[in-house]
Amino acid sequence: MHHVVLDQWSRRSSPLHRRDPRAKLIPLIVFLVVLATSHRLLPVFSACLFALLCVTLLWARVPLGGVLARAAIVLPFTIVFAAVTWVAGDPARGAALVLKSYLSALAVLAVVSTTPLPVLLRGVEMLGAPRFLLMVSQFLYRYLFVVSEEAQHMRKAAASRGGSFRAAAGALAVLFARSYKQAGEIHSAMLARGFQGRFHPLAAPHFHAADTAFLIFASSAPVLLRVAIERMV
Amino acid sequence: MHIPDGFLSTPVWAALDAAAAPAVGLIARRAQRTFDDSKVPLLGVMGAFVFAAQMINFPVGPGTSGHLVGGALLAYTLGPAAASVVLTAIVTIQALVFQDGGILALGANVLNMAILGVLAGYLPYHFWGRTRGRRLAIFAGGALSVLTSAVLALSELLFSGIRMPGTVLGVSLGLFAVSALVEGAITLGAIRALEAIQPDFICRPDARRSFALGAVALAAVLLVTGGVLLASSAPDGIERLGSARALFSTPFSGYDIAALGRGWFPKAAAGLVGLGLVYGVCLIIGRRR
Repeated sequence: MHHVVLDQWSRRSSPLHRRDPRAKLIPLIVFLVVLATSHRLLPVFSACLFALLCVTLLWARVPLGGVLARAAIVLPFTIVFAAVTWVAGDPARGAALVLKSYLSALAVLAVVSTTPLPVLLRGVEMLGAPRFLLMVSQFLYRYLFVVSEEAQHMRKAAASRGGSFRAAAGALAVLFARSYKQAGEIHSAMLARGFQGRFHPLAAPHFHAADTAFLIFASSAPVLLRVAIERMV
Repeated sequence: MHIPDGFLSTPVWAALDAAAAPAVGLIARRAQRTFDDSKVPLLGVMGAFVFAAQMINFPVGPGTSGHLVGGALLAYTLGPAAASVVLTAIVTIQALVFQDGGILALGANVLNMAILGVLAGYLPYHFWGRTRGRRLAIFAGGALSVLTSAVLALSELLFSGIRMPGTVLGVSLGLFAVSALVEGAITLGAIRALEAIQPDFICRPDARRSFALGAVALAAVLLVTGGVLLASSAPDGIERLGSARALFSTPFSGYDIAALGRGWFPKAAAGLVGLGLVYGVCLIIGRRR
């Protein structure tokens, strides 16, 4: 499946991979807010942010071409809307939609491709998001591939029963029942291993001086860039 | 229906993030009460099920097929609070891993699909799940959940100033209506098949409720959804309200911090300060209990 590749990238090693997830999440939010609120000189600013992200990705030793292509997933949806906006007589906004959505997706990818998802979700939790929700997300991601494989069998089963609406509904119900049963088995297995409703990470997260330095630098870079561009012109 | 970043204007995404954060916190707490921590694997696996169920195609006409969206189905099987938590987890994973939907737009997407979509989908079942009209209620719930999320997403885009010619708007509303009917049919088909396997998969609403109250609630949902759409495509009323703002003034009116002068920086600062305030309030409420 295509997102396995994201798991491979996020388990490589680089200075960016080693940063605490919180030190990457906060600059990501700052980046997205600064980009979302920009209007003047957007093309110049976007080009600078694009260069900044490319340098970051090269520094993180993830395949630049692969990440750039993956961020293009947003383009089909965006380009349709940009075309509609263009036709409605607002070409500048159409272009802004494409630039902003692509760069936002690229920025998210720069974080997700350098942080394994369990670590990232733990960072979100440490920033205050509800633990219950994040544990559900962890399980969801863990069993996504398992249930997807089961779903492929069910799809084949529905197709071989003629692919009718009834057959598809039956396949869906069986998939539901199997997932439900599997969840029960997983829970028993976890209880047998002493699960008490909370994950215990092997290493306690430490916020090092390097994390602080990265946090300050990465959060201020897009802000300073924008101030510089708007002052110059 | 997943709105990417860059589409919503700052007032829209900031307001929706501010509304979604406490709502998600509240719902997570509520779900945790009914499903203690030990049931976390169940909710996670059911989230994976909704993801995977998209692979199963339902024939809906010559050459076309639809797939389950799942909000209403989850609400009927796990209960509305747990369904909201599962869908919030799905929307979050989609934004992070699949680049489907933005991070700043997460509040909007969570509200549209995981909270309001699930509530609208559960409403008919809540009121008529024990009457003779049960099947119709299940169908209507599936349809209403998709229709509500889609119309809200469209309204948010229009509020953000994305212009759409009338024909495009009409075509997209028509498509929403078709996919809503498809979701209703799939939900009903899946629930009936599930009942045939194991009837206790489906939660039953605890008691018979007043028909009139249900009708009023349903009318309110339809009115609000339709009203928001009308307001967003012709925002004159809102602008008039804006020009009369002298009546009520807030420190961040116009999403500016007046003390910092004009331009983008006060806007961004006001946004960040607002987010920080909401974050702080949520953290305090979360710690206290």
